[in-house]
Amino acid sequence: MKSIATTSQEIPIDDHARVDGSSWALKDKLWLGLSREEYKAMIVRNPVNWALFIILAIGIPLTIMRYFGGLDTVTNASNEYPWGLFLGFGLFGMVPLSASGFLLGTTVEIFGRKDFVPIERLALLNGLLGYFFAVIYLEVDLGMPWRLPYPMFVSLGPAAVLFLVAWHVATYLSVQVAEILPALFEWIGWLKGKRWIKSITIGLTIAGIILSTLHQGALGALFTYAPTKIHPLWISTNFIWIHFFCSAIFAGLSMVIIVSTMCKNFMTWRCDDRFLSNLDRITIGLGKGCAYAMITYLVIKVVAIAHDNEWIYLLTGWGQYYLAELGLGVVLPLLLFSFGVKNQKAGIIRLAAFIAVAGIVWNRLNTALICFNWKLYQEIPRWQEVWITLTVFAIYFMVYRFILYRLPILYEWKGDK
Amino acid sequence: MKIKKLLNRRTFLKGSLAGSAAAVSLSRSPEAKAATFEGYPDSMGVLVDLSRCVGCRSCEAACNEEQQLPLPEKPFNDFSVFDELHHGQKRRTDETRYTVVNRYEVPGLDHPLFHKVQCNHCQEPACLTSCFVNAYTKTPEGAVIYDPKVCVGCRTCMVACPFYIPTFRYSSAFQPRIMKCIFCYDTRLKEGKPPACVEACPQEALTFGRRQEMIRVGRQRIRENQGRYVDHIYGEHEAGGTAWMYLSPVEFEEAGFDTSVPKEPILNYVKDFLSIVPMVLTIWPALFAGIHLLATRKDGIKKQQQTEGEAEK
Amino acid sequence: MRCTFMAALSIMALMAIGALYPNQTFALDADDAPESVEIESLAELYQPVSFDHALHVEMADCVECHHHTTGQQPVDPNCLRCHAQSTETESISCEACHSAKRFYPEDLKERNQPELYHIDKPGLKGAYHLNCLGCHQQQGGPTGCQDCHALTKRGEQLFKVSIVPAENESGHDTHQ
Repeated sequence: MKSIATTSQEIPIDDHARVDGSSWALKDKLWLGLSREEYKAMIVRNPVNWALFIILAIGIPLTIMRYFGGLDTVTNASNEYPWGLFLGFGLFGMVPLSASGFLLGTTVEIFGRKDFVPIERLALLNGLLGYFFAVIYLEVDLGMPWRLPYPMFVSLGPAAVLFLVAWHVATYLSVQVAEILPALFEWIGWLKGKRWIKSITIGLTIAGIILSTLHQGALGALFTYAPTKIHPLWISTNFIWIHFFCSAIFAGLSMVIIVSTMCKNFMTWRCDDRFLSNLDRITIGLGKGCAYAMITYLVIKVVAIAHDNEWIYLLTGWGQYYLAELGLGVVLPLLLFSFGVKNQKAGIIRLAAFIAVAGIVWNRLNTALICFNWKLYQEIPRWQEVWITLTVFAIYFMVYRFILYRLPILYEWKGDK
Repeated sequence: MKIKKLLNRRTFLKGSLAGSAAAVSLSRSPEAKAATFEGYPDSMGVLVDLSRCVGCRSCEAACNEEQQLPLPEKPFNDFSVFDELHHGQKRRTDETRYTVVNRYEVPGLDHPLFHKVQCNHCQEPACLTSCFVNAYTKTPEGAVIYDPKVCVGCRTCMVACPFYIPTFRYSSAFQPRIMKCIFCYDTRLKEGKPPACVEACPQEALTFGRRQEMIRVGRQRIRENQGRYVDHIYGEHEAGGTAWMYLSPVEFEEAGFDTSVPKEPILNYVKDFLSIVPMVLTIWPALFAGIHLLATRKDGIKKQQQTEGEAEK
Repeated sequence: MRCTFMAALSIMALMAIGALYPNQTFALDADDAPESVEIESLAELYQPVSFDHALHVEMADCVECHHHTTGQQPVDPNCLRCHAQSTETESISCEACHSAKRFYPEDLKERNQPELYHIDKPGLKGAYHLNCLGCHQQQGGPTGCQDCHALTKRGEQLFKVSIVPAENESGHDTHQ
């Protein structure tokens, strides 16, 4: 991309007007101001695209097979493990990583911390896409995906935790769309719309906090339906919703750190000075937030064990696995975060964020799959299931990149705002 | 200036209230509904007596026919099925069978015991309370039935059922559905007839009647056959009480029962979370709006001074 | 059941005798019983059972199968609580007491009396099998279903006996 940026004077587009004063058409903006040939060359040149191509080439036929042949053509389709990777990773893993939207929305809009503004939109977009693709994963897993709106409009079961999740994810998705719309409006140049959204930002943000608190917690509370099936160390019927909510805080923040790091390194041409020069400082700030959330999380984890008096389990093999999860997935990144914050080293914090995100995904997989049915047997997902999971993630990556290339997320729009 | 400020606040309130009002009205009803339900007084039940069952599989055959289920892999008089293991587990219900009988060799007993598995038709079913499209109904007759027309196939009921009963028709892409015992509700129970398996049982190992009556029968059998039964009716309190209950001559775990199933409805474990929902919905908006006003007070004053300064110019 | 008529006849005869000697109680004698009984009233999935009553009389006392109905004193202390003085009943056939339509509304209604003790009385099919199988297991009698009665066409259809299971499947982990 750097080479394109240097060959073409007009890249990247960050204004309605070209250098010569005429305006960009929407079509040009979509093509990044490149000719078709240039655009194609850009795609072919990037090795990441080849990897994505291979994933999709196998993954899309597999997905079609799932829709026409039934779930049992691609998954182990077991009655003991109703939820596999699609939900274990796609829903329970993606949603906490998407908590970034409401966290930075709150920080900037509610707490008035304007120093985090440069990363706010990236956090909002990360939230929106994460949730959107969690829903996509759900659509892959649902038996009757064409009935997705049923819990909303056709047959309501309001006593169920999943009802709460469904409604809150749906409303929160709309809230997040609204929150990210200003970026789109700037880009297409429709300022009226942006002004209107701006006027309800606080309302949207507070709605976001409520909805997030509840459904991040609700995802954990879903497992309280299976108090006898999940290993006691991973389920505390009193505390699991707090565990899920609390861990979503550092998971979401860590995910923003990761994405911003990748943008900084692989999409430098798209970032403006405001983003690049502030990023280290912001990363350290986010790292501090992560460290606080992690300490809280650790304390509540211990409280839960004490509350249910489950110390004895720590001496078993499951206990060692549990300690490994907490040690590698929480304590290690916590130490790195603290070290990074204390010594103002953004690099360390970035490393910690990678570990923390892996740790949280690990925790969700443990709760949903590995420690589920701990008294029965361990189901191992079929390769097709893994591949479809990867395929959806690849599409997520591509959509993410597509938007970052264009909308003013990593840079400030130079034209009218 | 004043007017603008007012407007701002009003739009803000509108925005946040719309969101939470919808959520409040939707999440209120569950608790009210769940707290008052104590089971239907005249609901029916079945008492399964493990000491009577001889493992003839007549119930499986009758169920297959009554519910028009797919043909089995082996005929119903083939007893080699008792040796089948899947992932080290004995046979279980699936999309082709609503009930199975499993054999248990109990140390110290000169004959095997047979444990019939089917939906236990809980008083407060976890499948029902976990379903977000209300696909399940507990009928006054005691059956837990399922409506495939509204099910979206999320399979939470399968996660929630402590007895691993609901199964999913994974094999179908276009007509998937939950497959589970419905107490022969449509064809028999509704008309006062016993379910097909009960009628088929030669040994009357399955006793059908009002649930309250079945508990009395169970107690009587335990009392009058001292030493022949464990002094416990499995299902009287398990999972908050089930319509199908069991008597056993040996400790229940030895015959493949999960004795870790709590003695209260699964829903009770979820109530902790459900009870915080109204709290978050009501406290959060005020709390964060307050924080916002405090945190941005200085900015507001600054802005006001600025605009006033500009106006003066 | 063919024995009903015979039993009724003999009971009538006995009652006639009983009327002549009002102070004496007469228990039915094993010799009065039929030699063989065809148990067919429930035959649907299985063919009727041809029950050799004479053979069984040699092995067990009447009371072991007929409770107190023949006028013999029951051995179970639990039954003795009420039936120590019970005389022979009008009918000693099983189906006189044990409902063939067990669990149907009439049967359940009949049991729905607060003062009723026999709330757990099996139906006819249950009574036969519980009575026979228990002894057969202890005494080494035949216990397989088709040892006593062969499947009918209808039974074969219900049990899906025509299915030939796939080879090398039983006893192994069949999950792919």
